[in-house]
Amino acid sequence: MTAVGDEIPAWRMAEVRAEPMQTMAALLRDPNPVHWDRASTHSRGLEGRLVNQGPINVGYLANMLMQWQGPTCIRRLKVQFPDRVLDGDEVNARGVVTGVDSDTALCEVWLERPDGSRPVVGQATVQLSRS
Amino acid sequence: MSTDSLPVVVALSAPFADPSQWRYCRPVSLEHLVGHRFAGGERTIEHWENFLLTEVCGGPQLEEGIAHPVHLFHIPIDGAGLTIAELFDLAEAEGPDRVGLESYDWEYFEPLREDVAYRCDGQIQSVIRRGSDEKDWDELVFAIELSDEGRLIARVTNTWQIWRAR
Repeated sequence: MTAVGDEIPAWRMAEVRAEPMQTMAALLRDPNPVHWDRASTHSRGLEGRLVNQGPINVGYLANMLMQWQGPTCIRRLKVQFPDRVLDGDEVNARGVVTGVDSDTALCEVWLERPDGSRPVVGQATVQLSRS
Repeated sequence: MSTDSLPVVVALSAPFADPSQWRYCRPVSLEHLVGHRFAGGERTIEHWENFLLTEVCGGPQLEEGIAHPVHLFHIPIDGAGLTIAELFDLAEAEGPDRVGLESYDWEYFEPLREDVAYRCDGQIQSVIRRGSDEKDWDELVFAIELSDEGRLIARVTNTWQIWRAR
């Protein structure tokens, strides 16, 4: 039985890599070079590290929720982006249940680096599975 | 929409933490944009793009026909007949390095699926001038709904920051 305070099993991205960003840029026809050209981020003070697209970061949170309650469980996902995720970062998608109403759970969700910083934070509403 | 003619989409990211890296747009008023409706149209999630997007997000492939939830980033924008470049023009932004992501609010009333021609309609909901000690920006909110044969499937409400010169 899901209860307030339950931790959602974490989902880990051990190392954010450049190749998925470049594939995402191609999928989206995204011309912003900070996602695929290291030279562009040298001039921005990021030492040539590429910037992970916001939707990929949200994807890590979605993966955590789907791993927990199944592939069609997400009812609402609200996220804010206080910081960037860069290639080479390790991030863990984490969450905790803050409310349970009938067959749905309200959750705080976030991405967390090993130093405890949270570049993405948000709230999710999740349909609880019956099993 | 044919995937041969996908519009340009810019996947915005959080603002640079270092203020010296911020770049700014002209300080124009955008109040006239509130209520602006997008052209609207249809967009289908194809299997190949679902496969690749799921890989990009680092997770396992989903059950047959279920589309990854992150399609709510670009499918509504594509389907509403928009390019990000056009949104930038509307907002009188002057390039992706002068715009930041503030938040997404994505609601799913039914799971997204491959091979469904979703109807996409939306509008600009609000534009509010904000400011801090360091900078000014316009908080631009737009919403797009996806429907299938009249059933509401999903709704996105996205908030961007357009950084303005003082």
